[in-house]
Amino acid sequence: MRDRLVGRRTLLRAAAASAATATTATTAACGRGGRALEVAVVWSGGELARFREVVRGYPEPVRVISAGDNIDALLRARDRAGARPDVAILPRPGLVAGYARDGWLEPLDAALGERYAPAWTDLITVDGVLYGAWVKAAHKSLFWYLPSVLTEPPGSWPDLLAMVESRAAGGGPAPLAIGAADGWVLTDWLENLLAGFDDEQLYRNLAAGEPLWDAWQVRTALAALARMWSVPGAFPGGGRRALLTQNEESVIQVVASRSACTVFEGDFVAGVARQFQDEAPRTFRFPAFAGRQPLVVGGDAAVVLRDSAGGRDLVRWLAGSDAFRPWIASGGYLSPNRLVPLGLYPAGQPRELAAEIREPVDRLRFDLSDQLPGSFTGFDGQGVWKILQDFFAAVTTPSADLRRAVDDTVEQLNTTAKKATA
Amino acid sequence: MSPERGVLLGETVVIDDVGPARRGRAYPTIGTTTALLLPAALLLGGLVLWPVLRTGHASVTAEGDFVGLEHFRTALADDGWSVLGRTLLWAMVVPTVVTALGFVLAAASRRSSGGRIVTLILVAPIALPLVVTGVTFRLLYDPDPERGTATWLTGALWLGPELITIALMSAFVWAWVGLAVLVFRAAFDALPLALADAVRAYGGTRLDVFRDARWRPLLRRTVAIVFALVALATSRTFDLILVMAPGSVIDEAMVAPVRVWQTSSGTVTGPSAALGVLWLAVVLLGMLAAALWTRQAWPPPAPGAPVRETGSEWRAPRLVRRLLPPAAAVWWAIPFVVLVATSLHAPRDAATRGWWTGPIGLASYRELFEGGGLTRSLALTAALAAVVTVTVLVVALLAAYALAWVSPPGAQAAGVVLLGAAVVPVQVLAGPVTEVLDRAGLAGTFVGLALVHVALGVPFAVLVLRNALADVPLARVRRARLAGRREWSVLARLAPATVPAVVAVCVLEFVQVWNDFVVGLHFGGPDAVPLGLALYGQTRQFVSNSGLVAAGSVVASVLPLLLVIAFRRQVVGGLVSGALR
Repeated sequence: MRDRLVGRRTLLRAAAASAATATTATTAACGRGGRALEVAVVWSGGELARFREVVRGYPEPVRVISAGDNIDALLRARDRAGARPDVAILPRPGLVAGYARDGWLEPLDAALGERYAPAWTDLITVDGVLYGAWVKAAHKSLFWYLPSVLTEPPGSWPDLLAMVESRAAGGGPAPLAIGAADGWVLTDWLENLLAGFDDEQLYRNLAAGEPLWDAWQVRTALAALARMWSVPGAFPGGGRRALLTQNEESVIQVVASRSACTVFEGDFVAGVARQFQDEAPRTFRFPAFAGRQPLVVGGDAAVVLRDSAGGRDLVRWLAGSDAFRPWIASGGYLSPNRLVPLGLYPAGQPRELAAEIREPVDRLRFDLSDQLPGSFTGFDGQGVWKILQDFFAAVTTPSADLRRAVDDTVEQLNTTAKKATA
Repeated sequence: MSPERGVLLGETVVIDDVGPARRGRAYPTIGTTTALLLPAALLLGGLVLWPVLRTGHASVTAEGDFVGLEHFRTALADDGWSVLGRTLLWAMVVPTVVTALGFVLAAASRRSSGGRIVTLILVAPIALPLVVTGVTFRLLYDPDPERGTATWLTGALWLGPELITIALMSAFVWAWVGLAVLVFRAAFDALPLALADAVRAYGGTRLDVFRDARWRPLLRRTVAIVFALVALATSRTFDLILVMAPGSVIDEAMVAPVRVWQTSSGTVTGPSAALGVLWLAVVLLGMLAAALWTRQAWPPPAPGAPVRETGSEWRAPRLVRRLLPPAAAVWWAIPFVVLVATSLHAPRDAATRGWWTGPIGLASYRELFEGGGLTRSLALTAALAAVVTVTVLVVALLAAYALAWVSPPGAQAAGVVLLGAAVVPVQVLAGPVTEVLDRAGLAGTFVGLALVHVALGVPFAVLVLRNALADVPLARVRRARLAGRREWSVLARLAPATVPAVVAVCVLEFVQVWNDFVVGLHFGGPDAVPLGLALYGQTRQFVSNSGLVAAGSVVASVLPLLLVIAFRRQVVGGLVSGALR
């Protein structure tokens, strides 16, 4: 789940303000008869601090509530207690659709949707009505490397595979670092391969939880992953060790201890890298696997909860061109909003990523595991995370039967999908 | 209970006859008893009893319809049985190891030179929040040999799927052996020495002496007590598993508490309720067995001044006395050294180098307090612990006073009910309690957290205080009754006699709340983030955060460490007395 993912990755940053600190703050003294607008968010730590800075620019007082890992639980509890916040910023389009169907949300002006590319707007439009406004995006199709360690980044999947094989045999740093202890890292790999196929309907159906995992595309993608991951020496310390490595440690392996050449993950890697290394890592795109350059994204959408008086104005303001200026300036932020001037982003990589994410040349794909229903969506030891970790363990065992591992995984995925939607 | 009670009841008549009529009766009237018991009854009824019933109901129904054992089948499908099995394994293996180690170490370090320091080092881990123990051992077992000392020494992946349970158990044993040592030490001090001489005088062998003068009179029962206490405590493996087990191996470490939490996610679901019911049944059965097993026989080892008798002392062989205690102390100190050394590295160094290398400084501590989040958690936790301790003390003292004069069948029934309420695992209650708090508008608030803590703390406190009140000498009770005009003034006059028990309750409750993680995780909210939860938040990406996590752990440990070490006699006395009678 991305909400948990956010909890996780942000925790580190200003870890001091430990995530959970989740304390609330009001900007300025309470005006308006003492009642500030309430916004529930999943951010914590540094991201929370930056969002507070953002809403300080709003003319009225805004109270930010950090729900930490599970915003759904918070909103349901608040609903039962009759104390719904005015606005919630949700990390999954599935939640937006669910709440909209339950009648929890206020519809928004269709005009607001024109600030985003249709691929983005479609995700939060339910039965033709817009229910949300995107306020933040994550780019999840990047490999990171230090130019001093890897001089020629691979440009295609066969190149990447060749690099993995030659470096693994070469005895230097391992070719890949991977935070396999965090199941979402593995699902992000698979999603980037699946996004390489043209069949968008399949991706959408899989995300809806349909048991279509024995499609040839899925098998091909899993087989390709098995082929690459099973290369002996592909990961520092081997596959068993990789399964005990978390995402941020895998970044450290590339930028600080340099026991690996590259690591795949989203744009948020930059923030981790900055803590551990002065040499800024560079990126190359996740290579096209089946002809299409994948663009897998995550994002957070602001919604207005029913009966809120001031929520609509706040969301319109958040979706304006200027609101997130302080966050853009301090880094670690991408917006899918086309009104935000590109010039606000630091030149170079952030500006390029922002440009790509807001005007996807090809159709973008939203993180698949974040959309899966019920218990299928992953958590530690559960759902798709666990299935892919078992797959990873199977294929990294010496002399593994890769074909069998793919078969088992496909069967597991289908069984779990059926159970989750039953 | 004791024959004294009969005497007391007999004499009360005399008091009634002698005293002026308005002084009231010797023991509280039904009305007063009800009033005294009401606060405790409300708390336990609303936040323990009702949730247990609700869980039981949910385990056999789906949306109001009876579904028989379907939820149980679902809960036990896949790996449900192995989860239950692993939970039982914990409850058997860990107490055995802790009891054996505690026995040996207590015997070896007894009256040995440097025994005090050894005891101090062995006892210190009891005081730590279990989250901190988890952090410490995760540092020790880090799979990277450049950081993890255990990995460097052995070459094994301790956090991997094969060894994770052993790694977790080792952390648990480290944390609990000190308690066993203290209890055994008290038992050794209470051994009747003359008995051994008597057995010897009749030509008994060493074995006879051990069996008849040591094991039978006292040690058998002490072993049973330690075993039961530790077995019960293994349900708290929850904290350790969530902190120590990487996501990819959590299934290999899975036990009932974690599974119930995972499958319920704060609400009431059929399968998680079913697993909770099974688990609760096992816990209650185990508790009953332990209660029956440890009943009768000698009074529990009295903490405090041991009676010096003449006769031959029981001492371990000299070589054991010389070598074992220092070795154990060094071994037990290593995790502390690793934790503190890691915390003294800047975040970047802590994540990339070993704890024994590099420059040391306070950078991690400085960064820890930036932003004020931790300070807020510290303040909240301190306030929570203080409020809960005072409330528990008041509520429990009232209830204990009412229960102290109840005669045998009722007293035993009350004891069993209270003991049952004291051992119900939080995870089983979580869903229904959340519903109750929601309805009261208290979910995720300071008051909600405090209420849950009070409800969970009251049963044990009542047991300890009731036993203390029941032990007040008869003459003193009589004096208090003659002097006190009303019940509350009688209670006030008796209270000084229970000071050790009150101290025990206060220290235990304060440390319990301070060290808590489970209650905070289930019932905390954006406005109420207790220390344990804040620390856990930082451990989610462990290696990259290890400097801050270690610094936070040290900060969180100072206060409970000081309290437990300063009051260790009362704490052990309280634990044993509450658990026993």
